[in-house]
Amino acid sequence: MQRLVRTFLSLILAISGGAIAVAAPSADHSYVVSLRRLTEQEYRNSIADVFGKEIEVRGSFEPTKRTGGLEATSTALLSVTPVGFESFNKMANDIATQVTAEKYRAKLPCAPKDAKAPHDVCAREILSHYGLLLFRRPLTAAELENRVGLARRMAERTNDFYAGVQYALSMLLQLPDFIFRTELATPSAGGKSGTLDAYSRATRLSFLMWNTTPDAELLRAAGSGELHTSAGLVRQVDRLMASPRLEAGMRAFFDDMLQMNTFDTVSKDSLLYPKWGSAMATSAREETMRTVIGLALHDNGDIRDLMTTRQTYIDRRLAMLYGVPFAFTGDWVKYEFPLESGRSGILTQISMLSMFSHPGRSSPTKRGVALREIFLCLPTPEPPNDVDFSAVNDPKNPIRTLREKLMAHNTNRTCAACHQMTDPIGLSLEGFDTIGGYRTTDNGEPIDVSANIQGKTFSGAQGLGQYLHDNPQYPACVARKLYSYSRGLKNSFVADFPDAYKAFQDSGFRLRALLKSIAVSDSFYAAGPPGNPSSNDSTKVEAQ
Amino acid sequence: MNFNRRTLLRGSCQGALAVMGLPFLDCFLNSKGQAQTNGRPLPTRFNTFFWGCGLTASLWIPKKAGTDWDMTVQLKPLEPYRKKLNVFSGLRVPLDSKPNGQHWSGLAAANTGIAPFRSGEFESKTIDQQVAEVIGKGVRFRSVSASSSGDPRQSYSSLGGTNHLPSEPTPLSLYTRLFGPGFQDPTKGDWKPDPRTMIQKSVVSAVAEDRHRIMQKLGASDRARMDQYFTSVRQTELQMEAELQRPNIEAKVSIPDAPSADIVANNASPNLRVVTPLMARLGAIALATDQTRVFNLSVSSPQNAMFVPGDPLGFHQSTHEEPVDPKLGYQPRVHEYNVASMELFAAFLKELDAIQEGDGTLLDHSVVMAFTDQAYARIHSVDGLPILVAGGASGRLKTGYHIAGDNSAVSRVGLTLQKALGVSVDTWGKESLQVRSPYTELLA
Repeated sequence: MQRLVRTFLSLILAISGGAIAVAAPSADHSYVVSLRRLTEQEYRNSIADVFGKEIEVRGSFEPTKRTGGLEATSTALLSVTPVGFESFNKMANDIATQVTAEKYRAKLPCAPKDAKAPHDVCAREILSHYGLLLFRRPLTAAELENRVGLARRMAERTNDFYAGVQYALSMLLQLPDFIFRTELATPSAGGKSGTLDAYSRATRLSFLMWNTTPDAELLRAAGSGELHTSAGLVRQVDRLMASPRLEAGMRAFFDDMLQMNTFDTVSKDSLLYPKWGSAMATSAREETMRTVIGLALHDNGDIRDLMTTRQTYIDRRLAMLYGVPFAFTGDWVKYEFPLESGRSGILTQISMLSMFSHPGRSSPTKRGVALREIFLCLPTPEPPNDVDFSAVNDPKNPIRTLREKLMAHNTNRTCAACHQMTDPIGLSLEGFDTIGGYRTTDNGEPIDVSANIQGKTFSGAQGLGQYLHDNPQYPACVARKLYSYSRGLKNSFVADFPDAYKAFQDSGFRLRALLKSIAVSDSFYAAGPPGNPSSNDSTKVEAQ
Repeated sequence: MNFNRRTLLRGSCQGALAVMGLPFLDCFLNSKGQAQTNGRPLPTRFNTFFWGCGLTASLWIPKKAGTDWDMTVQLKPLEPYRKKLNVFSGLRVPLDSKPNGQHWSGLAAANTGIAPFRSGEFESKTIDQQVAEVIGKGVRFRSVSASSSGDPRQSYSSLGGTNHLPSEPTPLSLYTRLFGPGFQDPTKGDWKPDPRTMIQKSVVSAVAEDRHRIMQKLGASDRARMDQYFTSVRQTELQMEAELQRPNIEAKVSIPDAPSADIVANNASPNLRVVTPLMARLGAIALATDQTRVFNLSVSSPQNAMFVPGDPLGFHQSTHEEPVDPKLGYQPRVHEYNVASMELFAAFLKELDAIQEGDGTLLDHSVVMAFTDQAYARIHSVDGLPILVAGGASGRLKTGYHIAGDNSAVSRVGLTLQKALGVSVDTWGKESLQVRSPYTELLA
């Protein structure tokens, strides 16, 4: 890949007679539509693709903050705190040191005659090469000369060409142009709207599809104007979607949508559940990713089947927890639960069941709140401040099962409004304990897993799975989250991308159909008018 | 082209290009002159301690006010420090027209003097950042935060808005930030600045000079974000500047070995009892060696998820689900968690009080504000929010008092502490939380 970029750059260099002749963004009327802070994975993937996998990224990243159901949305809202920049600074110095170390130098586009002296021509070649890849656009002539100047001064100061390059590269890595994905738009003729420029299109596409920085070919298509033609755009979208790297992109999306980072702070009671260990979380997360990617991507299946499938992937640890004999070699194996297991799709995987539970007890309310938000895009309001549990906890009237406790909510109209929606979902999953194990009794009482939501009656996890499978709000919610995720929006309505949603529906809810029709539609690259550049339409924020 | 003479001078020392080695070192030491010698007054430090879900009013509030207050069952773990402690009860948290955001409004009011509009956001810089601006200049870290339950999001330190300064989530990450790369041990005789720091600082300065270019083409909200970005750039620049100067220390401490990466930091109470003192000790050593003057330690999120193994509910869930025992008149399990929280606070104070420096201990030269989010977690009420303050601010804060329910707004504590720490502030807080008069009886 690096060779391709090099060829592309030398082409530009040849045309322009040595100077990079790409229009400086400041010379036009373009405006910033959104600035999205790279996530940890996006940063790591970018460094691996720009410099190679041998370059280590050592450091910590500031957390993101789930907003409107997605971590991705917060990347368009958060800045970098002093603690965050301190870490970016250290990582930049560390990466630049590795890239200019003796053993890496052969990979650089050129070498100076004398490694102890500055060499502007070679420095320029190195910095324009990496500048394009890091900023996802060519450096302007002024930017490039500034960085070359820094490299020269530092080389003079240290009597070391590579130290000069090291500090100039480190500077590039510390600039917002790298740390944030900058989306630039150019205004339309009337100035009432705008459209993303070519490099911003390439960037949005690449992070959506591959969860990383655009590759040389995509940057070439941006530079040549191809991405502004529909044939050129379709060609690139097809190329990105045909690549195995699509899996990384879709994993990142589902990891966010399914709130898998909840695992970062899940702890289980080791007295009550000695089988649980922190490694269990890693396995459980991977199981769900394998199931989703296997069904939606590799098998091109109907996304609704994620609610009902009994096919999954397990490793030794999970086999132990699921009570399945693991008589296989290798780490992971495809497995189909028998019907009588009561399991239903990702709803009954250890991930979903354990993330939304207490350390020592399952929580129908937590599960209900989470699943409604994740799969139906229906957030639940906070309970009232003076939430009254006296009926639930009256010691004179001991309530044995959790169901009885929760049903007590229905004696209070304020509580009932939400609990009638959340609890049936959670109660139908009560056949599974806080770490996802199957059970038939709770506190010695047999568990009743029947449920009724708005007149629809079902029983157990498999009933819930079918209910969600048949609920049109579920695929609509997946589409909505994918669209919001790709644009970093706080919220999106299916009505905002009707063609893509129709294609999704017509395909029988195939992820690829949705992804492609979003990516090739003009509206995906449309921007608001200049002066009101925030793509996060505030009027839509409150709806979520 | 922004690269000009000014940038070049920044990367130099008294006009002469700083290259590696001794001349550069000399020039730095000389430039500070007296500052490098001992005998300078010790700095006063500010710390916060946060725990979620508060205490139980009938069990923590002493009956008597003043210095002769009666020890209570929930404050008992703090007995060894009672002469260095101030206890504030009966504080009001008026929210005006703002919603009572569960597990948020109370802590935000205590922490900023402003009732927040939205849960999870602060309307201004938090008190530790306001104080750090005054007392934290010239040291490596403007502030350091740590979460002993292992979550970087558990931070109540912010420059305002959505961004919170993340907490170090493990003893090892805290250790690495404080005493890892960039740290020069001032307790050793061979301290010398790292010449690479000087060069790296000039690179950061070059980044800062791109501010103008970045600011073009931005809408208002993105401008604010980039403003914060470049504020952060500036702080790293200042940090590097500080790293080039030897801190002035009085305490006889040594830097411990790095803690094991295997130590588990989570909400299980046995782990909290290991990690909290460990993080407190690292923070105390960082304060004693003047790496920072502001240290924030939190032991939980506001919805305190601490649990004793075998208890399926844990702290927060117990506050809502455990019945009030009709004979005792309180929630017995919640009481145990309240006491456990105070034990963790005591563990923090123990580490601060264990370090001798000058005429007293590190705790004597500090102010520690312990605060929480709820007065009565069961019903999410905030009036009567418990606040405990330890440390004498190098003699500027009188201690040993119980300031009993005089109907003051909670922000009066924050104002008083800032006065004691030398922050020049006449009023603090907004709307009904705005206060003008500190507790003058506590100011020495």
